[in-house]
Order: sequence, then structure tokens, then C-alpha cells
Amino acid sequence: MELLAWLAAAVAVGFLVLVVWSVAKRGVSQLNLDLLTKAPVPFALPGVKQGLANAFAGSLVLVGVATLMALPVGILVAIYVTEFAPRPIRHGIGLVLDVLNGIPAIVIGIFVFGLFVVGHGQSGYAGSFALAVIMLPLVARATMEVLALVPTSLREASLGLGAPRWRTTLGIVLPQAVGGIVTGAVLAVARVAGETAPLLFTTSIVGNQVSWSPSHALFSVPLAIFELSESPDTADHARAWAAAFVLLMFILVTSLTARWLANRSRRKLRRAAG
Amino acid sequence: MSTFDATGNAVRRPFSGRRTRPGDVLLQSVAGLAALGTVFLVGLIVYKVVEGSRLSLSTFGLGFLAHVGWDQPHNRFGAAGLLFGTALTSVGALILATPLALGVALFLTELAPRGIRGPVTALVETLAAIPSVVIGLWGILVVAPVLRAHVMPALHSTLGFIPLFGPPGPGPSIFTAIVVLTMMILPIISSISRELFVGVPAELKEAALALGTTRWEMVRGVVFPYSWGGVAAAMMLGVGRALGEAIAVAQVAGGVNNVIGANLFNGGDTLAGWIALDFSNSNPGLETSSFFYLALILLVFSLVVNLVARVIVRRVAPRQGLAR
Amino acid sequence: MPKNGMLIRITLAVAAAALLGVLAVASAGAAGKNSSSGSLSGAGSSLVAPAVQGAWGPAYQSAKGVTINYNPVGSGTGIKYISARSVDFGASDAPMSKSESAGCNGCVQVPWALTATDPVFNVHGITSGKLRLTGLVIARIYLGQITNWNDPAIKALNRHLSLPNQKITVVHRSDGSGDTYAFTDYLSKVSRAWKRQVSKGTSVNWPVGEGGAKNAGVAALVKSTPGAIGYISDFYALQNKIPVARLKNKAGRYVFPRISTIEAAAQLVKSKGIPKNNAISITDPPKSKKYVNAWPLSTFTYVIVPVKTAKAADLKAFISWALQPAQQKAIQKDVFAPMPQVVLKAAKKTLKKIHS
Repeated sequence: MELLAWLAAAVAVGFLVLVVWSVAKRGVSQLNLDLLTKAPVPFALPGVKQGLANAFAGSLVLVGVATLMALPVGILVAIYVTEFAPRPIRHGIGLVLDVLNGIPAIVIGIFVFGLFVVGHGQSGYAGSFALAVIMLPLVARATMEVLALVPTSLREASLGLGAPRWRTTLGIVLPQAVGGIVTGAVLAVARVAGETAPLLFTTSIVGNQVSWSPSHALFSVPLAIFELSESPDTADHARAWAAAFVLLMFILVTSLTARWLANRSRRKLRRAAG
Repeated sequence: MSTFDATGNAVRRPFSGRRTRPGDVLLQSVAGLAALGTVFLVGLIVYKVVEGSRLSLSTFGLGFLAHVGWDQPHNRFGAAGLLFGTALTSVGALILATPLALGVALFLTELAPRGIRGPVTALVETLAAIPSVVIGLWGILVVAPVLRAHVMPALHSTLGFIPLFGPPGPGPSIFTAIVVLTMMILPIISSISRELFVGVPAELKEAALALGTTRWEMVRGVVFPYSWGGVAAAMMLGVGRALGEAIAVAQVAGGVNNVIGANLFNGGDTLAGWIALDFSNSNPGLETSSFFYLALILLVFSLVVNLVARVIVRRVAPRQGLAR
Repeated sequence: MPKNGMLIRITLAVAAAALLGVLAVASAGAAGKNSSSGSLSGAGSSLVAPAVQGAWGPAYQSAKGVTINYNPVGSGTGIKYISARSVDFGASDAPMSKSESAGCNGCVQVPWALTATDPVFNVHGITSGKLRLTGLVIARIYLGQITNWNDPAIKALNRHLSLPNQKITVVHRSDGSGDTYAFTDYLSKVSRAWKRQVSKGTSVNWPVGEGGAKNAGVAALVKSTPGAIGYISDFYALQNKIPVARLKNKAGRYVFPRISTIEAAAQLVKSKGIPKNNAISITDPPKSKKYVNAWPLSTFTYVIVPVKTAKAADLKAFISWALQPAQQKAIQKDVFAPMPQVVLKAAKKTLKKIHS
């Protein structure tokens, strides 16, 4: 039986190694500056230099705008829950965040389609909003966790010195938690950078030129991989692998770094509390 | 993982009974507004999806769930084939992922040398961070050909008497979707199970071992009974992830929406996969509305799954380590 | 205060790196942009994509400095996008249905290319053009009534071949498609059972078969599956070197899809006339001397434009440019046949309606 448990762990780690290795093996050799700087050329003759610049630019804008939308709201929700809300409301909002987190991304795509795209057309803003809906519970949860770790004695000391509540919260509690909040936000960014389903109906009708304006539909890296993966053309597969490699590296590096930092800052807070 | 974490339990209300100031009121109302907005957002999602599906709901009613086929020329739509595909893929992935996940969790809590626990835990959780579109790309270009050429024929020739393992089809298959989904839910189930196993009191384990049981008997007699409720909740959350996955399924499953057949090696599709594949092509009116209906079914499933998981946790949490 | 120095430094470093990346991509994007006076965006048919994206787009860019952004998302999707006005033009191989036409709210469809859908197959030892099929046999295969390559119905058409005892794997499109429209339109004309049970559309309720995404997916499936039958745009069959079956037309001749046979089928418009909305079906031309060489699965493909649009001038310029003989000729290598004069005339007449 112990052997089976060893085996299970080996299989799980094997999965990861296999995916990363598969992507790396096929992606690295295709990696070049053209991928980031050149736009795609459909039905190009062999030898024409092309890349996915529009997808990378679009992803940067989409994720950036989504972060601007979700981060302040998520932090405020967490502040309300940990610093102000009475117990039943605290549980209620916890439940709502779990429910929101559990809604499939494709349903959020349909929702934003019905909310913004019908009658107005696709736009980068619609796509960013869909991503922000996914980020919100992640940011709020992460912030709640780290705020809860800030020692109560700190709050009491500040209040005891006559500082008002809002000052204590924004000036004392929040700065203590900043490390945890940043890592939570970075994890949320890493998560939505790879999301395809929310963008499928909200920001997918795009040209081949690089565009930075979210008022029009923007291309994105996950969508590019999705479309290229269905092509029969091996040159398209090559670009899909290269894009997947860049995306995967971004996600792995940011989320592993964030996790490491989160553990560090949590330990620090615990030590301070202990 | 902190899905169940009833955050803030440790924090007493340090602010109660003080006089309020304008700044306090301002911060509390702005933060409260954000919280209220979140609640409103969830309500709005439900409302929009229901509103969109109204036409289909009134036309087909619950018969939609029982009708097989997606017939654009005749304007007749039904979800039964997709529900079947969704059930098949979710259950299949659960059956493959659960033993693996429990194995991983046991390994990490009971067997692994201290030095590698941290890294292996991190690696397994990293699996959850890989975007589904990348897993789908890998599934369609790497896994599917291997399964088709080697695994499916082998399963068919040895277990072919079971209808599930019929003759391998030509390409996209339910089976490939199951394999891909297994990878996605494995880290969910294993990381929650690991926390559960960590929460088993050391005295119980030591007592069992002191009685002369083997390590495996201790696991079976102490660790599993102690944590089965939480494992059930973890499985629920895994199912929730599997049935909501659209992109990877759309890439590997094949878009066959009107077949109810046991053979896992044929093409099929799930609710989420079919929405991803064909929603953009839907005719305005009844067909678009029927896609919203599919989304509504998914929404209800995800709510039920999450609430059931929560209830299980409530029941068992007091004696387990879930609610910190 | 906590020691967040390390954290902040790392955050700053990451932010700086990200900013550098943005700047790099931005400057590259700016450098890549030429002094184009404008651009047009379109979406829809993948059948016409080789013409729009491959031939016309780059040529128009260098001739007039206007960029054509085209996304081959499928005909049905293209109609939806132009209805929502999220693109400047849509493209579809299927003429708009009544509800689509109403939904598009003042759109016209202009035929701008002529090509074919092909039945393709994968049977060991049988090369392109050797296998003979009739519409009725294909309908029965796709209805699940004929399931083996050595079925008497297929044998009867192919005495010259030795057909294997092999299961037929039916492959169809999993997404909505103009090829599916042409294919099911044809089958509805030749098989009453098909018309009743399945009918025609950009996506239908398939009685049997496996789904492949886009032309590419069907091509890949047929190519990799011994015993498979499928249907794809002529261009993709050629590009992927997939064997194409001959089809028996009403005149009783087994024909092969090529420019001349597609052109022959298009002569149907001369007798049939062109309706006001330009919806022309040239599948399965009738039994007549005029159509002895006609490929029965030929199809016009349309560009769909709002009558009133801010980009009227640009759109008119681009479409009339594409209708010029030189541009029509440029796409013949991708098996687009020249359109009959009456169609060109009707197209130009429709274009005049567009205004801003």
C-alpha cells in the first residue's frame, strides 16, 4: 500500500513534469523575438516572419484593466468583513465569495456577454470585467486571510492611543498586511492570465494588428493558443507551443514566487502575533 | 487551501463600543458598499442567466433536460446528450483522480521524508495553476494520439466486454476528456485531503501504532475514518471543477452533442464544452436562449456542489482541521 | 513596522520588468504599423478565408494602404457578428435566413466568390477521383443506413474498384459552418428522408458521426482515420491532399470539383435568375445538357454589409476592388471559379445601396 502512495505521488508530479516538459520541448525551439513583436499573417507563405504580438499586447491590457477593477473592490470587501461586519454577515459574505469562486468561467463569459456585449458589441472592457469577476473572490479571500493574521493587540494599541478606526485600519492594519495582499493579487493575476472561457464571447473578434485600446475587442494569449491548437498546420502548432511556453513560464514563476513570499510574510506575521 | 476558512474567527471585535467619527463612517460605508456590490454581482449573474434562458425555459420547460439533440434547422434543442457527457466525464475523472489524490495526500503526510514534503506539495499545487487551454493543447496534440494508438486498443482488447471500453473511435473522445479533467481536479482533491490528514490528531495515530498495527492499518483504521467527510467535500469541489471546465473539453472531446452511448472511446461533449464550441454560432432567439439555459444548468450545478461541500464541512469541521 | 523592504523591492523589480516588456512590445507594434490610411475588419466564412486573408488582404494593403483584418470564425458566427456590428463586414457561404436577415437589421449580402465543397474519404488504395458516389448514397451514409464500404449500394457505383470490408466512419463539422450548409442543402435536395429528418442549416442534428472543429478538424480526422468520409472546402482538400470523391450530377455524369465544373454549375443562375436578396443556391443543378459537367456541391459565398455604415466608402471600394477580374483571377489558384457576369452585375448593383 505504501508503494501505491509513492506511486500516486510520482504520477501527480509526473503529470506536472510531463506537461511542462512537453510544452518546453516544443515551445523553446520556436521561441524568438518575432513571437512578441510581429503580428500574425494568416495564410502566409512559408518563410514569412510572424508572431502573436497582438495577443501578448491584448493580454497585458486585459489583465491590467481587470486588476485595476478587482483589486480595490476585493481589498475593500476584505476590510469590511474582517474589520466591520458582524458575525452573521461575515459568514454570509464568505459564502457569497465561495459561490462566486465556484461559478464556472464559461458561465461568467455568458453572463458578461448578456450584460455588456448584447447590443454594444465586444470590447476589451467587457473581457476585463469578466476576468475581474473571477479575480474578485481570490483577492478578497487572500486579503481576508492576511488581515485576520494581523494581531488584535496592534489594533487595540492604536485605538488606545486615540487613533480613529479608519486610521487604524488604513494606517496600521493594512500596511502590516501589504505583503500578503500583493501576493494574493499576483496569484489572482497568474490565474486569470491563462483564462480563455471568459474571453471567448466578450473579446474575441479581432484584427491582426497590435492594439492597446480596451474600447475595442483585444486578442489574448490563451485565445490564440485555443485557436491555433485546432489548426492542421504544424507551423500554427509551433506558434501555439511557443505562446503556451511563455504563458506557462509567466504563470509558474509568478505563482511560485508569490507562494514563497506569502509563506514568508505569513510566518513573519505569526511570529509577531505569537 | 482555504476554501472553507471562516476567515476572521480569530479577530475579536476590537472596535465595538467606541464613538464613531466621520472617517470611520466613510470607510465602513465604502467597504460595506464593496461587500454589498459583491452580493449584488452574484445576484446579477443569476438574474442575467435566468433572463437569457427565459424563452427556452418557456418553450421547452424541463423537457429540455430529457431531449437529446441540438437541431438548428428545426429549432429543437435539448440538453440530455450533454448532461450525459457531463456526468460521464465528471464521474470518470473523479474515479481516476480520487485514489491518486488520496495516495498523494498520504504520501505527503505519512510517508515522504521531511525534506521533500514541501517541494512535492508545491509541485502538486502548481499543477492547479496550469491554464486549461495549455492542458487542452497538450491533450489534443500529445495525449490524444498516444491514447488512441496505445491505451484505447489495449483497454478494448482486455476489458472490451465492458461496454465502456468499446472499439476506439477515430479521434476526439470522452476518454481523452476524462484524462485531461483528472489532471485538473487531482490537485484540488489532494491538497484538501492533505490538510485533512494533517489534522488527524497525532495521539490517535500514535495510539494505533502503539497497539502494534502496521502503518497501512493505522491509515485505514484512523486516518480515513477520521477524514472521510472532508474527503467527500473535496470530491464535490473536484466535480464542480470538472463539470465547469469548457476549454480543454472543447479541445479534446469532439462536439458530439446528441449521442447517449456507453463507449468512452467515441466523441461526445459536455454542457460547458458545447457552449464554448458553438455559442458564437447560435441563431438569435430560441437557440441563443437555449445556450443560456445550458449555462443556467451549469450555474445550478455549481451552486449545489459548493453548498453541499459547505454543508459537509460544517458537519465535520468541528472535529477536523478544516476550519482553522 | 514590518520588514517589507525585501517584498517591496521584489515587487518593484517585477513591475519594472513588466513595464519594460510593455514598452518593448509597444514600440515594436508602433514600428510595425505602416502609414495605413485605415482598416476594415471582417469575420465569418473559413471557406473564403484563403481569398480574403491570403490573396486580397495583402494585395489591397500594398495597393491602397488599407488593412483588411479578417477572422475566419465560421459563417454562422460571421452573420452574428455583423448583426451586432462588432465588425465592418461579415462573410458567409450560406445566404442569411429570414430570421438572420431580420436580426441583421438592414444588411445586404453580396456574392463575391464562387467555389465548392467536396466529399472526401480515406480508403486504403483508392486515390482522389477514383471513388464514385451519388448524393443519395452520401445521404444514406450520413443517416447511418449505409455503414460499410462494401455495401452493395456503394459497390454498384464502383465496379472498377475493390472496396474493403471496412466500417465507414462519418465525420462532420462540430461548429456551425457554410460548408455544412452547402452539404446539407445538397442532401436535402437529393434525399427526401434527409430533408425530413435532418434538413439544412449551418449546423444540424447529425444522426451519426464524429465532429471535427472547422475545416481543419474535419481534414485532420479524415486523414488520420482509415474508413472515414467527410466534407470540406475544396481549398482545404487540395491543401491537405485528401482524396476527393466524384459525384454523380443530375445529368448522370460523375464529375470532379475543379474550376470548369464549378463554373458549369454556376450557369444555373442564368436560367434561375437572381433574387433581390442575392440568395443563390446552385447545388444539384437540374438534368439538362447545359449542366452535364456541373459539380453539384458548388456554392457562392457572400460578403454581408450593413446598408448604412460609417465605413460605406471604404467597404464599397474594397468589395468592388475584389470583384474586379484581376482579383477574381488571383484566387483561381485556390479553386475559386470566375463568377458569371449576371452575378457580378447584381453584386455591383447591390453595392450601390450602401451609404453612410
